[in-house]
Amino acid sequence: MYQIPRAEWYDLTRATNWTYSYVTEDEMFPEEMSGARGIPIEEWETYDEPYKVSYPEYVAIQREKDAGAYSVKAALERDAYVDRADPGWISTMIAHYGAIAVNEYAASLAEGRMARFAKAPGNRNMATFGTLDENRHGQIQLFFPHANIKRSRQWDWAHKAMHTNDWASIAARAFFDDIMLCRDAVAVSIMLTFGFETGFTNMQFLGLAADASEAGDHTFASLISSVQTDEARHAQQGGPSLKILIANGHKEEAQKLVDVSIWRAWKLFSVLTGPIMDYYTPLEHRSQSFKEFMVEWIIIQFERQLADLGLDAPWFWDDLVNDLDVTHHGMHLGVWYWRPTVWWNPAAGASPEDREWLEEKYPGWNKTWGKCWDVITDNLNNGREDLTLPETLPYVCNMCQLPIVGTPGNEWNVQDFPLEFEGRLYHFGSKADRWCFEQDPERYKEHQNLIDRFLAGEIQPADLPGALAYMGLGPGEMGKDAHDYAWAEAFKKQAEVA
Amino acid sequence: MAAFPINSNFQGDFVMQLVPVDTDDTMDQVAEKCAYHSVGRRVAPQPEKVMRVRLHNANDNFPRDMKVSDAGWRPTETLDIIFADQ
Repeated sequence: MYQIPRAEWYDLTRATNWTYSYVTEDEMFPEEMSGARGIPIEEWETYDEPYKVSYPEYVAIQREKDAGAYSVKAALERDAYVDRADPGWISTMIAHYGAIAVNEYAASLAEGRMARFAKAPGNRNMATFGTLDENRHGQIQLFFPHANIKRSRQWDWAHKAMHTNDWASIAARAFFDDIMLCRDAVAVSIMLTFGFETGFTNMQFLGLAADASEAGDHTFASLISSVQTDEARHAQQGGPSLKILIANGHKEEAQKLVDVSIWRAWKLFSVLTGPIMDYYTPLEHRSQSFKEFMVEWIIIQFERQLADLGLDAPWFWDDLVNDLDVTHHGMHLGVWYWRPTVWWNPAAGASPEDREWLEEKYPGWNKTWGKCWDVITDNLNNGREDLTLPETLPYVCNMCQLPIVGTPGNEWNVQDFPLEFEGRLYHFGSKADRWCFEQDPERYKEHQNLIDRFLAGEIQPADLPGALAYMGLGPGEMGKDAHDYAWAEAFKKQAEVA
Repeated sequence: MAAFPINSNFQGDFVMQLVPVDTDDTMDQVAEKCAYHSVGRRVAPQPEKVMRVRLHNANDNFPRDMKVSDAGWRPTETLDIIFADQ
């Protein structure tokens, strides 16, 4: 059967808008869902997505991707890579699946909002594919870890994590709810696809794919590469929205949406990706430091994209650059110290060789972060594991929901950015976290962070075991040191030899 | 006397922590309670120093025998606990 070449029909079909007569435009596209911001629908019809694909092409490509990833999994299953992989790498996978898989499914709802409510027909077309993408990502990242549940209950957290009140889940939900589930279609296209996916998921997926290949984990590498190629396509939905907003006098709001999204994404990645890249991935398999990845993918590339669109670098850009030497080290130390509160086994990544690498990548690490690890290492080598476990909660930020951290040791600098609003005292981990709150207090003011819940009596008994129960962590699920303290033992052996 | 939550920012440590104190506690007792969760865990002890309490980023320390109930703090107030010569 003759098929009309795509070039002859594509532009017409993708630009076709509905003709409605029984409802008004406002009923068809409610402002709170569409977010057209008073810009006429004719302007939205100029939306021009850079990546064009037809439905038959999409299905053929996706089928190929799935077949590739699933066949690698099937072929390597008997190889039982997971049984011989470094425990730090296992933790990387378990942390990743728990934080990502169910949020991928939530992202399909966000894509669905654009697919239905965007006034731009091109956006609706792209988002239809995006909905299918994210659904696939949710399924594949639940199916792959499911094969490992027989090995440990922690793998089950791929599905369980986002249905609990674990602190990391609260942080991830607070971010994703804000940028993708509780925003109008235009804001979703900017905050989710431009702010978050263009920079940060690229880094998580390309960076992890590189580390996975290095570590010999070809199943995980093929899985996340298959996900990343979808992200690279549907992440392009935000750019055309930004162009329309800027061209129609909404640059300031466009900038604000981008800035909030970037800052919040940065904080989440500082706890999710930073520790994985700089501490969990075995030293010999690390391709670049987290800071190097961030500089390449976010600082340089993203800044260029912003400039191309006529936007400025976010006002907090210098703070973010400075934080590349600080925040993720603090998040890692916090996760490790409070390890019973996470669903994976954090790798300390603080052996003599690791510390040499950290000092090289982050000059000054030993006299700051190293000071804390010195005390921890001594306690472990002196039989005082009890002193390396928490007896209270870290104070968490009312925006990112993550611990308020800063530089320890000789250059001690840990800052709180408090704000009293309508009689309530809020605490923020950075100026930018507080700024996000101040942009839209109505949106955030009711949210209770983990400390607020604890003080309100929601966590019973009001102690650490009560908090663990509140977070849904049972026996066999709570994190412990990934290498059973072998890294600390290495210092003891070093001292004995000396 | 009543339980009173504060946000402890201990010199040399990397994280702020929730620490329950008592409204009848003196500043020295507040410092001790904060130290319990930092010193010997991630901060090396400094036995030759005393620990002083001050509002976050303030210059002046509270008197060592001042009680929490007299300090005018808000619940979850952020406090710096620092090592000092006296």
